[in-house]
This record gives sequence, C-alpha cells and structure tokens, in this order.
Amino acid sequence: MDLTARGRQMTVLPLVTAAVIAIPWVAPIYHVLLMLPFMAYGVVLLGLNLLFGYTGLVSFGHALFIGVGAYTAAFLTGMFKVRSLEVILVTAAVVAGVVAMPVAALCVRYVKIYFGMLTLAFGMVFYTFLLKFYKLTGGDEGMPVARPFLLGRDLGAIPKTEYLAGPYYLYSLAVLVIAALVMWRIVHSPFGLCLKTIRDNPAKAETLGIGVARYRWAAFVISAVYAGVGGALLATPIGNVDPTLAYWTHSGNIVFMTLLGGFASFFGPLLGAFVFIYLQDFVMSVVPFWRLVFGALLAALVIFAPGGLLGLFARRRARELV
Amino acid sequence: MGGVFHASILFLVAAGLQVVFGVQKVFNLACGSFYALGAYFGVTAVQWYISAGGPPAFFIVPLILAGAMIGLTGLVVERGLLSFVYDRDETFQLLLTFAVVLMMEDAIRMTWGTAPVSTSGLYLIYGQTRIAGAAVPVYNLLVIAASVVIALAIGWLLTRTAFGRIIRATADNREMAEALGVDMRRVYAKVFTLGTALGTLGGALVIPATAAMSEMGVELIVEAFAVVVIGGLGSMRGAFAGALVVGILRAVAISVYPALEMLIIYLIVITVLVFRPRGLFGGAAA
Amino acid sequence: MTERMLLRAEALTKYYGEFRALHAVSLGVGAGEFVSIIGPNGAGKSTLINLLTGLAQPTSGTVRFKDRDITGIGPVRLAKLGMARSFQLVQIFPDLTVLETLQAAVAARLGRGRRLFASLTGDREIQQEAVEVADLFGLGGRHALSRELPQGDKKLLDVASAFALRPEVILLDEPTSGVSTGDKTKVMEILVRAAKTIGLQAIIQVEHDMDIVFGYSDRVIALHQGEVLADATPSAVQADQRLVDMVVGRRPVRHPR
Repeated sequence: MDLTARGRQMTVLPLVTAAVIAIPWVAPIYHVLLMLPFMAYGVVLLGLNLLFGYTGLVSFGHALFIGVGAYTAAFLTGMFKVRSLEVILVTAAVVAGVVAMPVAALCVRYVKIYFGMLTLAFGMVFYTFLLKFYKLTGGDEGMPVARPFLLGRDLGAIPKTEYLAGPYYLYSLAVLVIAALVMWRIVHSPFGLCLKTIRDNPAKAETLGIGVARYRWAAFVISAVYAGVGGALLATPIGNVDPTLAYWTHSGNIVFMTLLGGFASFFGPLLGAFVFIYLQDFVMSVVPFWRLVFGALLAALVIFAPGGLLGLFARRRARELV
Repeated sequence: MGGVFHASILFLVAAGLQVVFGVQKVFNLACGSFYALGAYFGVTAVQWYISAGGPPAFFIVPLILAGAMIGLTGLVVERGLLSFVYDRDETFQLLLTFAVVLMMEDAIRMTWGTAPVSTSGLYLIYGQTRIAGAAVPVYNLLVIAASVVIALAIGWLLTRTAFGRIIRATADNREMAEALGVDMRRVYAKVFTLGTALGTLGGALVIPATAAMSEMGVELIVEAFAVVVIGGLGSMRGAFAGALVVGILRAVAISVYPALEMLIIYLIVITVLVFRPRGLFGGAAA
Repeated sequence: MTERMLLRAEALTKYYGEFRALHAVSLGVGAGEFVSIIGPNGAGKSTLINLLTGLAQPTSGTVRFKDRDITGIGPVRLAKLGMARSFQLVQIFPDLTVLETLQAAVAARLGRGRRLFASLTGDREIQQEAVEVADLFGLGGRHALSRELPQGDKKLLDVASAFALRPEVILLDEPTSGVSTGDKTKVMEILVRAAKTIGLQAIIQVEHDMDIVFGYSDRVIALHQGEVLADATPSAVQADQRLVDMVVGRRPVRHPR
C-alpha cells in the first residue's frame, strides 16, 4: 500500500473526526442540523459504493432501500410503539436486507443498462406501492416518525432542536463511524478483493473460480442493508417519511453524490455527501433553482472529472483505491 | 379509447428513445424532460396563436410546428454535452442524461413557473363522436391518426431513404459503418435531434387533453421505459407494440382498480426483463 | 493410451449455425504430458479450448476431466475442479496491482472469498503464496498497476494468475504471443519451472511458434478445418512434410534439443 496515502489518512482522519465531534459545541444550530442528513446519507453511500465503486454496478433504484428503512422507522414508532433507536436501526437493516435478497437475485443477472433499468423499475414499484396503498402508508402525505429513545433513554423532555443537535447528533455520528469501520473491514477483506476482480474483468474472475453472480448478490444485499440503516437514521430529523424517498430521481441523486466525491475511493462518497448537502443548502438559499446548478455540476463532473473530487486531488488516482 | 390515445403519445416518445438507443446505445433519461418541454412550449405557442387572432379551429397546426421545432434543443444537448462522452462507459452517458433531466426540470420551472398550464377546453373545438358507446373527443382521434402517420413515416424513413439505411447500419454495427465512411458525429447529431423532436412532439400533442405540469417529465420516463422494455430496446416495432400494450393496460387498470395502475406496468416490466429481456422485438440482451 | 487420461475429449463437434467449427475431435491428455495444439487460423483451436474448459457447449460430444463429465460446466466450477486457463487476448484486472491479482487467485482457490470481515493483508497464507507466484514468474513490480504493465508482463501475469490456482491441468492459449522472440524461451522456461514447482500434472497449449512447439512438447495435435489431422510426437509430426506444410505453411527451423 502506498505509504503516503496511508500517512495522509492517518493525519487527516482523526482531525476530521475531532472536528465533526466538536461541531455541536462550536457551530450554529443550523449547520449542526445540516450534518444530520449528511451522516445518514454517509451511511447510505458507504453501502452504495460497495456496489458502485467496488463491484461496478450502478443502481438507479437504491433509494428503494432508503425508503424501506425510513418507513420501517415510521411503522415501528407509530404502529408498534417501539421507540428504541437501536431496535429501529437493526430492524431497518434486517428488513432492507430481506427485501433486497430477491430483488438482488433478479437484478444481478444483468449488467450495465439493464441492471440500471431493472433497479429503476423496482424502485418505482416500491414508490407506487407507498403512494397508492395510502391506508397503510399514508399515501403522498406519508407517515410521521416519533422521536426515538437513544440507548433506552426517553429524551422527550428536551426541545426538539436540542435533541437533534445534541444527543441525536452524537448518536448518528457513532452509527456512521461504526458503519464506516465495518465497511472498511469488508472492503479490505478477501471478499472485497473478489468484488474488485468482478468489477475489473468478470470473465477473468470466473476463470479464477469466483462466482460472479453470487458476489454481486452479496454486495447488493449489504449495500441495501446500509441504505436501510441510513434511511432509518434520516427519518427522525425529517420527522415525516413520504414516498418521494423512493422516487427514481432520489436514486439518481445518491449516485450523483457518490460520483461527486469520487467512487474510486473509500472516503470519496462521504465527501460527496457532505459537499452535496452543503452545496445544495447554499445554492437553495441563493436561488430556488438548485437543480439547474446541480445538473450542470453533474454534467461537468461526468465530462471533465469522472473521478470526482478525490479523483482530482489524487496524484495517482488508482493508488487511492484502498 | 383513452388507452389508445395515451398509447399514441407514448409511441412517439418511445420511438424517440428507441432510435437514440438503437443507433447511439444511449438510454436517454431526459426524453421525459423533452416531452415536458414540448408540452409547455406547445401551450405557449397555442396561446400566442390564439391571442394573435388565429382561428381556433387550426390550433393544431402551431401546436405541431411548435412541438417539432423545440426538438431542435436536442441538437444543443447532443453537441454541447453528450458528444463528449460517447467514448465513455454507458453508465456515464446515463448519468449525463440524468444531469440533463435535472437542468431541464429547473429550466422549465424558471420559464413557465410551477403552476400547471393548459389550453383548457380548446381541443373540444373539434367536437366529440361516439365510438363503441363512449364519447371520444375528435381531437384524440386526430392525434392517434397523426401518430400512425408518423409511425409510417418513420418506417418509410428507415427503409426507403439513404439516411434510414445509415441509421440501420450504424445500429447494427457501428465500427463497420464508420469504416465505410459514415460521419458518426453528424449521424449522431441528427439521430438525437430526431429522437428529441419525437418526444417534444408527443408532449405538445398531449397538451390539449391534459395540462402541462411540472412533474410530467420525470413521471413519463418510467412509462416510456416500460414501453421500450416490453417492446424491446432499439426496435421501432417494439416501440409501437410496447406503447399499445402499456397504453391499453393502463386504461384497463384505471377502470378496474386504479391503485394498481402503474404497479401492473412495472410488474410486467420486471417479468419481461426476467423472462425475455429482449422484449417483443428487441435484439440481443445484456 | 490405456493409462488413465486426465483430460479426455470424445467426438467433440461444434456448429455455429451452419458453420462447422469442429468435427468429431477426440483427444486425451495424460499426467506428465506437455501437449501442443497447432493449426492455421480458423482451424478451430480457440473453439476447442473453449470446449475443453467447459466455457462453451459442444453440439455433440463430451469432455471428461479426471473421469468427470465437465461438458459445458462453466469456468467457475471448472476452476474449483482443478483446471485453469490463460487467454489469447491477455486478460488482466486493470485497476488491481500485480500482487492483488495473485492474491485474488489464491484467495479464490483457498475459498477465502467468503470472508467478509477478515483482513486480506493479514492473511499470511494468501500473502505468502501470492508473493511466491510473483517471484516464480519474475514479476518484480508487485505494487505496479496491472494496466500500466508492459504487454509482456501482462501476459505473464495472466498466466501467473492461472498458475496461482495450483491447477492439475492448465490450458494456455498462445502463451508466447506478443512476446519478443528473444524472450519466448525465457517465458517457456519460467512456465516449465513454475509447473514443476506447483505440481502441475499436464500442460496444454495452443501455440503458433513451431520452435517452441517442437522444443517443449511431448505430443503435438494438429488441427485443420475443425478436424484432427495428426496426434503424435513432435518428431513424427515434423517428419511428415505434407502435414507441416498444410498446417504451418513453412518448414520450421530445427531447434537443437
């Protein structure tokens, strides 16, 4: 492994983590709250990039699993009166994984455009289901999400913003860090290496005895689990989940975020989520037409910098492929 | 009958998608956005036409003209953006069309605002007629007829003209076509423009019957996508057949169990992709 | 041919539509043999290799490996059974380093692909074996990216990754194509030495360079228009001038051995 890349990570990471932990105490509330979707999307993107950057599959329906996670949270806090965030997150992970298993089994038989189209179709199936079965799901108004208990503690007495900017912030951060550690392990395991071979040359991977479909399936399910957890994490700050979470453009946006940060590296997607959310917030405060700006940004990315932001920074891009 | 009307519109958009995919191997996610553009522009053109004193009975003329003309924006998109990524992975091409979707969504919003616009009851000027016991606006029949005419025209273009032969040759084997001296850049530019013009025309023609709304672009792509999957990617006949299937199925579903409307379509898409990825008329699959 | 054949093909026939690529090809390779398949372009060599490695389905006929029917079983199962191959058009993993490519092969062989949470670099076995194979093949720049390697090294890497599977039988599709003449012997020596080290039982190669063919093979199988013209020792094939002319098109230079 390239020593300078390692060295860079060893110094930058702790600093960044420390900065992020410090934010609730130093930054204005508005920015602290903005970090919450970033962290939730961070978890989602860590998973998505396993599929995109490490296995080479681009899904246009991944928001499905964000929706699954978010609605799981809504159902648990609402219908089943379960308020423990730990239970919610684990359940969201399991439900997303279970839903993903048959979907993945169908989708991984195809690649490229067909894979993209099939995942898009599944995403829209779920969206339509959420929209039309309004007796169950609340239709286009969605479902509310009650404030969950953190580590068993009912913090209902604290005002909402303090709850979100304080305990919930740190909790989300912890989830993100744990998710990142686990994903790091996965990516640096023999399993992760096999995924990379499939991304680079599936035919050759097969001659080495690597069952391509099986590994893709596993990568898909894992990334869905991450999306589910991220979705559940996203639900509380929003307070209300609705079907647009599963819409295909939402799937497109998270792919956009991954591309923005750089899909060829581990931390790229996290950077992408951060930049996307802050930039979107900034642009929206200046002009209401953030999509125009972002569309142009995506176009510029695709044409000039497909490696994303980290791709621009890296001296030898592939070396960052940790 | 409403189903057939809807199918005609779908056919136009899908045909645009197919010709672009068949020749350039690019799945244009923005085709829905062009459809929306055609719709909005169509409304504006008709409104201008009426306020300029044009006889309402002929409103369909400026509508069609506007719909076709605004398709030229496709040329701008193709030359200005898409042409830079032809040598890249299909994923990036797809993402670029997504970028166009985003940009056009706001461009439309900026120009026409977020409230729906329409030509109101203007289309009823052609009256109604009864078919199989149901009242059908004559306008709808006109559109269906127009679609069929266009379908035939496309068929003629593809089989009888030199340009059509070039399109088919390129769709079949790009390298060989290039080796035979075909200027890819110009072919791609023309094909893409043709594709978007079909989409914008579809959008314009649907306008009198509905209103132009901000969501129509992103919503249509999923239906158009269902059409080309069922019909088979890259095939004109597929666009025709697929459009009929989707249009009629939707109409049936709406009258039987509205909630299931699009769900049925998606499920069929998934079934097709699983059991017969080529669709009805498509070529080799993934 | 009474001893047990490691790899045996019986009456392999393959049609692509109307076109007959192979017709009733039968052959057997036993332990300890180095067999070369020769023939002009279009003779069906690649088709034969694809059928022998279970990559394609024959129209009729069977392929047996260690008495097991492997007709059309596909590359994944074949690799697990102990047969590996390299490709005519060199196949690499562009964004992986040399070492990572070999690690992948070793990991796949050891069945470690399942391990999601184990550390790759911490796995001593994988590391050691991968380094061994790299050294065996003289692939010095272990951390070099595969796509940045010179063509010859890419070729070696392709072959090396097949060797890393420690197969019993290996099929090499033109292992020295693209290699400069001076280096060809070097490559062959590496191959032979590596084969001995990992306990390879048989090598089958498709090769155009007649010096290499006659210099290293125990047996030569000549293919022409989808049929086996000859299946004999190098000297026997060389002696048959008609055969040589038909298959090769020129008289080979006698390689002193």
